[in-house]
Amino acid sequence: MVRYSKSRSRSVMTRTAACAIAGVMILAACGSDPAAPASTSGSGGSTAASVDGGGNTGGDTGGGKALVIARQMDVNSLDPSLAYCDTCQIYMTAVYETLIGLDSSDNQTLVPRLATKWEGNPAQTEFTFTLDPKAVFADGTKVTSADVKFSWERLKALQGSSSYLAGSIETIDTPDESTVVVTLNAPNSAFLAQVNSPYLGIINAKLAQANGATMDPATDTAETWFLSNSAGSGAFALKSYADGNELRLSRNDKFWGAVSEFPEVIIKETPSAVTQRQQLEQGAVDIAMQISADVASGLDSTDVTVTDVPSFNYVYLAISEKAVGGEALTPAVREAIRLALDYDNLVQVTAGGAGQSQASPIPNGFAGSADLPKPVQNIEKAKQLLADAGVTDITLDATFPSLNVYGIDFSTAMQQVQTDLKKVGINLELNPVEIAVWADKIGKDGIPVTMLYFAPDHTDSSQYVQYFSMAEGTQWQGWTKSDPNPEEATVLAQAFATQDATERASLYKQLGQMMIDDQVIIPIVNPDLFLASRSDITGMAYSACCNLDLSKLGRS
Amino acid sequence: MSTISLPVAATRRRRIRPPWLRGPALVGVIVLSLWVLVAITLPLWTPFDPLEPVAARLQGPSWSHLMGTDALGRDVFVRTLYGARISLPVAAIVIISSVIVGTVVGAAAGFFGGWIDAVLMRLVDITMAFPPILLAMAITASLGPGIRNALIAMALVWWPIYARLLRAQVIAVRQREFVESAQAIGAGRWLILRRYILPMSYTPVLVNGTMDFGQVVLLTASLSFIGLGARPPSSEWGAMITEGATNFYQWWIAASPGLAILLVVMAFNFVGDALRDTFDVKEQGR
Amino acid sequence: MKRYLIRRIAVMPLLLLGIATLVFAVSRLTPADPLVSIVGERNLNNPDVVNAAKARWGLDDSVPVQYATYMKNLVRGEMGTSFSTRKPVFDDLIDRLPATLELTFTALIGGTAIGIGLGIVAARKRNKLIDHVARFFALIGSSLPAFWSGLLLLYVLYARLGWLPGPGRLEPRSAPPGRITGFYTIDSLLHGNMSLFVQAATHLILPAAVLGWGVIGIVTRLVRASLLDELSMEYVRVGRAMGLRERTVVNTHALRNALLPTITIVAFTFAFLLTGAVLTETVFSWPGVGSYAVDASRNLDFPAIIGVTILGGVAFLITNLITDVAYAFADPRIRLS
Repeated sequence: MVRYSKSRSRSVMTRTAACAIAGVMILAACGSDPAAPASTSGSGGSTAASVDGGGNTGGDTGGGKALVIARQMDVNSLDPSLAYCDTCQIYMTAVYETLIGLDSSDNQTLVPRLATKWEGNPAQTEFTFTLDPKAVFADGTKVTSADVKFSWERLKALQGSSSYLAGSIETIDTPDESTVVVTLNAPNSAFLAQVNSPYLGIINAKLAQANGATMDPATDTAETWFLSNSAGSGAFALKSYADGNELRLSRNDKFWGAVSEFPEVIIKETPSAVTQRQQLEQGAVDIAMQISADVASGLDSTDVTVTDVPSFNYVYLAISEKAVGGEALTPAVREAIRLALDYDNLVQVTAGGAGQSQASPIPNGFAGSADLPKPVQNIEKAKQLLADAGVTDITLDATFPSLNVYGIDFSTAMQQVQTDLKKVGINLELNPVEIAVWADKIGKDGIPVTMLYFAPDHTDSSQYVQYFSMAEGTQWQGWTKSDPNPEEATVLAQAFATQDATERASLYKQLGQMMIDDQVIIPIVNPDLFLASRSDITGMAYSACCNLDLSKLGRS
Repeated sequence: MSTISLPVAATRRRRIRPPWLRGPALVGVIVLSLWVLVAITLPLWTPFDPLEPVAARLQGPSWSHLMGTDALGRDVFVRTLYGARISLPVAAIVIISSVIVGTVVGAAAGFFGGWIDAVLMRLVDITMAFPPILLAMAITASLGPGIRNALIAMALVWWPIYARLLRAQVIAVRQREFVESAQAIGAGRWLILRRYILPMSYTPVLVNGTMDFGQVVLLTASLSFIGLGARPPSSEWGAMITEGATNFYQWWIAASPGLAILLVVMAFNFVGDALRDTFDVKEQGR
Repeated sequence: MKRYLIRRIAVMPLLLLGIATLVFAVSRLTPADPLVSIVGERNLNNPDVVNAAKARWGLDDSVPVQYATYMKNLVRGEMGTSFSTRKPVFDDLIDRLPATLELTFTALIGGTAIGIGLGIVAARKRNKLIDHVARFFALIGSSLPAFWSGLLLLYVLYARLGWLPGPGRLEPRSAPPGRITGFYTIDSLLHGNMSLFVQAATHLILPAAVLGWGVIGIVTRLVRASLLDELSMEYVRVGRAMGLRERTVVNTHALRNALLPTITIVAFTFAFLLTGAVLTETVFSWPGVGSYAVDASRNLDFPAIIGVTILGGVAFLITNLITDVAYAFADPRIRLS
């Protein structure tokens, strides 16, 4: 639901997914071969981290200064099987390790992390991972196949928001301590990308079980324990968490990879982008990543480095005919809404011009996004469509979550949408509410016109179809109570079973067009991301899977 | 019998005038009259629509846009003036409905006494046991955010103070000689209450009501500021300040509604002070 | 006196019950239910998860049963578990209360001291320029919306000039002192950490000033009025006529009597302070009860809303009781009835 992520180069992303798939057959078939240095140096994925992370993370530099990050935290839980938020991505990556990592220097190569190698069968229904024998948890115990089995089965069983990532797992076999064999319930060309997602990080099973973790949401009591303890093998361990105040990580000195130079990392709750900027300017914090274009302008201190990078995040409108009060929203009327919006102006107003519009729910840069027509305003046609539909001067409920994500203030964005739609005779009644209240409403009555945001959970385009299409059982099919579109499900299954990257990209393009034709999701803006840090911080880079990898940061 | 009450009322009225129209109170009255005038006549003469973008976004103050423009390019000054069309009526409705409810409850409690008094006053005690903003927040959150629900919440929170005030007055007046005389000659209870007791009792309620006006304006803005009050694109002052907080470096967006609140509340405080001095009414714990 | 005290205390449980009931009733007015914050939005369509969560949080009981459960727990000091923090509300409140108390006490003490000073000056120089200036300053304090003045002061004194530290109780980099009282200023002193004390104290200045300005407004007005009352009394005129120095008259006689009513200020300003704390904490990212209340009401976090409102009510009740009793002790002329 809530993701920052980025790639330095958009066109690369399309290849990333392709490589991910190619990697099923032959490890690291694309780009340079990161497996070689990793396995020879003997510390797996983390060595790759020190190689590309600015070269400053290696070694025990001892009592350095703590790293401070200003962030609006959206932590829903720190239980690795239940956590699902932007901040959770950073936390999970720092504290729990996945089997496969993503090389953040090019954001395209899958690299070993806990697993030294992996392979899938041609049908993409069975995957085998070999664990690094040197990998240990923070308490010194070895990472074994049983831990992997426990972690993934618990993720699926607890039915948290991130459980869908393990949804395709049928059985997990552990023939020996370092081998994991996963059997899927259907072909899944996105599985390795999903394994790369931070939510599939590995938990110390014994430790977690000793503190109440089970496979059943009804009996599991570990969530509270996880609020003040962690059970991972990553470069950091949880020190303390105070809701609405701060999250503190301490360095894992027993880390089996390159130990961080920061003895402590503090993520400080800082809701306002303005405060984030001020504290960064004053040197009170080292990193701030939720600064909007408006707030970033004028930030030109030599002590601060701001990089403006394209992102995969976007904010969208969702229109629902079946929602209470949305009866007038027939496909033609929904198309009229899409045509009534001034997209260039929306990018100006919402993102200060630092961003772009987006054709389909598959964001710019992902496989299948190329060559789809960007939306264009056409008021005349919109009015014509409305006139033909006999719709004049209607008023619609527009409840939306009162959020400020990726530098975009939803209230500002919705007011601009309201202004645009008023010109064609559609009136919106804006009603900003907290996300919990919003979700309650959309789950029950539905909402005729609303706004939400999305950033990838991993590098495969399939997630967008699984979330935004009207195929049966997707999030938005459920929320809008739309009639299922079986065609989308068919094409998605086809994509899952397709190994050739180009072919899959064209299938996703087809799916993108189908989602446009659904006229349910209208992407508003795909904003750039402002990576702001003190100038002495090294290794600032976004990982397409994991947001910010703390283990790669250093201070010069 | 009515002659007994006459001199009292007459002397009071005579004393009203001077402090009313002197010094700060006069300033307050003038400022408030201007705000009311502006609020009523606004649509007739403002050049801009408060809800429509009229210029480039986030422009600083200039002659064409006195307080600059906001994130959508709307005129901040015009929006601020339009804000008076929300804040003032809302405060008026809250105060008037609270005074009415408070008067009825207070009069009933004070006049009838006994168990009616006990029950009503316990309700008053309990409601008054909460800091107003906390209870108003809880009620607004429960009813769902919005200016209408915020108004309901504030009225629910505000009436008990007037009930308590009026009850105290009624009890004091009830024991006065002329009431006993009226009873002696067989006047009905309602008649006594209406004709003799209430006219002698409501002054403190009215004075406090005026003084509270500014506080309700503040509370309305506060509820909007924390996201429970007015909805966008409303130019309610608290909501505007929230937008100003998002665009912190464009100081004019928050400065304009902030100054408006300050002006209105200060004016009410000036007038309220003068009224209180005039009628020698004790301040109540708000 | 003793009987009065006993009666006041005896009514407390009844009032508390009323408070809890009223808040519970209020929180059940809502059309929305808080399931989502528990199960996560993706699972709202999954009946298994929804039912499990309902059972676990007691949301599937009827309202009377929920009320009975709630009251039973409340008597035991349990306020339920916050939907958003997933910790017992009682623990949350205990965690956050010191932050609010530290802020409000600072504002109350500072505001009262300055307010008394201004009130005395204003009364002694009645209708002189300094009187008008003092009263005007005080009046601004009680007319300012705290959320705006806080923003303004932050903009000027922190962002522009850099004279004072920004939001929060400490620099983000600093770790709080080990908890003894929960007041960072006191705890840092107890731990002998001077630099941390300076940090905690300087972080208090801006929010306490915003909050305290309103206190100044209230106190100045009250002190000035009651001192003027006293100065018009017979004994003052007699004292002056007898040739006592003005300072002696004012300081030793009139002032002592005039300050008596200011005892009631504590109760009087308490509601004001709590209101202010809600807004000030929001502006200054102060992790206290006020910002907790705001988060709770935005999230429809029922247990938290109930808990925090009850805390406010209870605190208000106790303050009222203490001031009434203190006032009665200080001034035997007051008949307690």
